[in-house]
Amino acid sequence: MKSKLFCGWILFSALILFPGCDPDEPMVDNEEELITTVRYILTPIMADGVDVATFSFVDEDGDGGNDPIITVSNLKANVSYSGSIELLNESVAPSVNITEEIEAEKEDHQFFYKSSLSDVTIEYEDEDANGNPVGLMTELNAGIPATGTLTIVLRHEPVKDAPGVQSGDITNAEGSTDIEINFPLTIE
Amino acid sequence: MFLTFFASAQEQCSLSINGTVIDEYTDTPLSFVNVTIQEINQGVSTDEDGTFFINNLCPGHYHLSISHIGCDPKLIHLDLDQDTTLHLFLAHTPVSLDGVVIAGKSGAKNIQAKSTIGKQLIEDNIDSNVSELLERETGVTSLKNGNNVAKPVVHGLFGNRLTIMYNGVEQAGQQWGNDHSPEIDPLIANRLTVIKGASALEFGGANFGSVVLVEPRKIGREPHLHGRLGYSFASNGRGHNANLKMQQFTPLVAWRINGTFKRYGDGRAPNYFLNNTGFDEYNFAIQLEKSFKDKLFTELYVSTFNSRLGILRGSHIGNLTDLETALTSSIPFFTEPAFSYELEAPSQEVHHHFFKLNSKYYLSESKQLEFSWASQINDRKELDVRRSGRSDIPALSLLQYTNTIDVKYKQTVTEGNIKIGSQNVFINNSNEPGTGILPLIPNYFSARSGVYGILNRNIGNLLFEMALRYDFVLQNVATINSSREIVNYENRFHNLAGATGISLKLSNTQSLSINTGYAMRNPAINELYSNGLHQGVSGIEEGSIDLNTERSWKTTLEYKLLTGSDFSLESLIYFQRIGNYIFLEPQDEVRLTIRGAFPVFKYTQTEASISGFDLNAQYSFTNSLIGNLKYSYTLGNDMTNDVSLINIPAANIFNSFTYRFNKSWSFSNARIENVEIEWNNRYVFKQSRVLEEQDFTAVPAAYFLTGLRASFNQVFSKYTLRYFFKLENALDTKYRDYLNRQRYFADDLGRNFSLGISLKF
Repeated sequence: MKSKLFCGWILFSALILFPGCDPDEPMVDNEEELITTVRYILTPIMADGVDVATFSFVDEDGDGGNDPIITVSNLKANVSYSGSIELLNESVAPSVNITEEIEAEKEDHQFFYKSSLSDVTIEYEDEDANGNPVGLMTELNAGIPATGTLTIVLRHEPVKDAPGVQSGDITNAEGSTDIEINFPLTIE
Repeated sequence: MFLTFFASAQEQCSLSINGTVIDEYTDTPLSFVNVTIQEINQGVSTDEDGTFFINNLCPGHYHLSISHIGCDPKLIHLDLDQDTTLHLFLAHTPVSLDGVVIAGKSGAKNIQAKSTIGKQLIEDNIDSNVSELLERETGVTSLKNGNNVAKPVVHGLFGNRLTIMYNGVEQAGQQWGNDHSPEIDPLIANRLTVIKGASALEFGGANFGSVVLVEPRKIGREPHLHGRLGYSFASNGRGHNANLKMQQFTPLVAWRINGTFKRYGDGRAPNYFLNNTGFDEYNFAIQLEKSFKDKLFTELYVSTFNSRLGILRGSHIGNLTDLETALTSSIPFFTEPAFSYELEAPSQEVHHHFFKLNSKYYLSESKQLEFSWASQINDRKELDVRRSGRSDIPALSLLQYTNTIDVKYKQTVTEGNIKIGSQNVFINNSNEPGTGILPLIPNYFSARSGVYGILNRNIGNLLFEMALRYDFVLQNVATINSSREIVNYENRFHNLAGATGISLKLSNTQSLSINTGYAMRNPAINELYSNGLHQGVSGIEEGSIDLNTERSWKTTLEYKLLTGSDFSLESLIYFQRIGNYIFLEPQDEVRLTIRGAFPVFKYTQTEASISGFDLNAQYSFTNSLIGNLKYSYTLGNDMTNDVSLINIPAANIFNSFTYRFNKSWSFSNARIENVEIEWNNRYVFKQSRVLEEQDFTAVPAAYFLTGLRASFNQVFSKYTLRYFFKLENALDTKYRDYLNRQRYFADDLGRNFSLGISLKF
């Protein structure tokens, strides 16, 4: 009540046409650029009876708020997998497929895959218009049984022709990071 | 300068002008002052008693030029129709070197420590922003992001804790942001003043003692059109700066206009270009004054400030890994071999529009009532590097309307005066939809209503001041929480402040002032509610709704020695204790996001103390050669956690030697005068008190910069040309400054020379 009175005197003394003493109702913007979900899907190549493996990172409310949910599958030793990565924004309905945005700006993006296990190799299976790798499609060779980590990084505007970058070494890539996820990795 | 008239009737062409010229500071007569009547090119010099005499003059309009070594030349208009006696006060003082004038006489006139940058210095530095100009004062530094985003830091305080008064009105805008510069064109000002006091209660805001004043002067009663057109070119950034100022007094209205244009491209560090660090700026202001029967004095002021500021492309980082790579990289990412004027994301686009109507009514000789209404619109857009062509869509878009209503009553009483006033500020801040990003700062409406009273009185050699202030603050806030729901908050605060001080004239040359003041500052909106990833600093920042009001107690002790001849000294010691000091504290937790783990910073409170020492000394070796030494040291402590406060300026020393040629040279139709050369040096110590775990990287090393400055006037009968030259970072030293956020990514600016010319008519 006191505050109403105060507002009254403000409006009177100010003689200004404020819409009142209240702030404008905020618009809750759709966070179009947000990536909430990353799925790295590994389909075994010529290996019957081996399941498709999925590594996923889901953080529906974006930075902050609830913790992200990370789920992984175990890989079979000495199996080659065809890998594809999928990025989604599931904070909005319907969800937005960010993979398509990367696809459209291939030259300005590159995924980097690195495992702490030296026996695990990941190679690029795609390229942009300049013949440089993108990393939407990959091939992963699981080596001997072991446990370690798999790190996936997406760089925006990397220097693709810097030494080592084309073969997947991030050291000289520069650019800014859009995604950086560490998955636990088990080869059995 | 002030003048008074005494006159008696006289015949044609036998009129005379006589008078005395007195030093405003020491009250002593000034000899060898040149007084010239421009229209007839007749001049004299004042004698030992500071007097002069010119006779055999016809009635008419005359312009008197008053010039003296160490003073800005002054121009006075005179309607001569009778014998006239002038009493002129010149702002001549040894401390006026560098344009920095200690306001007031050496005696007890000012209670709070205060220093001023004059018009000439502002005009000779068309290429400088407000903060860079203010840095010339001891105890003032800049908090920067690159070379064009700079905000002043006074005695270790800035942003929410430092009030900037623009033309008598508290500058509104997004002052909370460390990377937001004040939206002010210093060229509109005739002087920039820093009050380094204990409590400047008249100015309100959330000041904890220090206030910056940006003031255009009154237009005066000069009936002819006068003005100044200035241009300068800066080599570093290949910057163009232009400014036009015109003013005239007419019986209808007195008017002044000011227009400024600046355009810079990429700056250059000694070894590489700083890509995307250019900026452009265009500003315009109109000032109208009208007095009614010398009783009512009304001023209308409208100004617009518009700028686009580039942020170093290589300072845009996605996560901590990027930051770590950037910290170890020898040149910043995205460094191009070529210079460019082009501006792209990340950048800021800021518009600030200002309107003020002010009326002073003189109730009597000793009583004055003042009313002012000011309205400000601040429109800030920040652009970031984004995917899929979204870089053109601002990542942050804030629109703020501020209205300020001031009422002030002043009365002169025996040996002193009383000021009573009320100040009311209403802010409506909103995020413009369409950014595609949840806002860092919520929408809010806030109102602050304050009343104050100030009394000062002379008692013999002593000046005494006492002040009290109360403010009521209301905040209505509409936030968006993590579940994307709107949550409203209403806060009310009561802030009290009080100050007292005495100034004692110890002798004709020495004075001592002691001030102490208490002030409260309620938590600001960003401290309470900001939430999200601060891209620039690679951290998640969280406000806290449980913050309490800050309480500051500051005491200053100032000693001044003005011998009036060859030596002068000002020294200031201050100690400030801030209870509930609000700061961003790194938390133990890290938060996992899709871009990896980020450190979390939360606004928390502690007991803090800030203390320091400012020194400004000057010595005249000869009539021509003057040396100046400035030193400032600031110590900031978080007393609860026993660590240093962050963002406290490192100690620094400034020194200069100025040589003035005490003569002029005449060429056919012009005279060369006021030739001046300055050699200056600055040494900034390492901020070694900040611990390694308080920052992302080691603090930068100490650095030393040296430079030159030169200027002279070419005086023609109807106009004056002024030439000015500046060489900065002459040795092309590679350095990084602790208070410049760009230091994580790149070196500071390399060598720069700038050359300027102005036409004064």
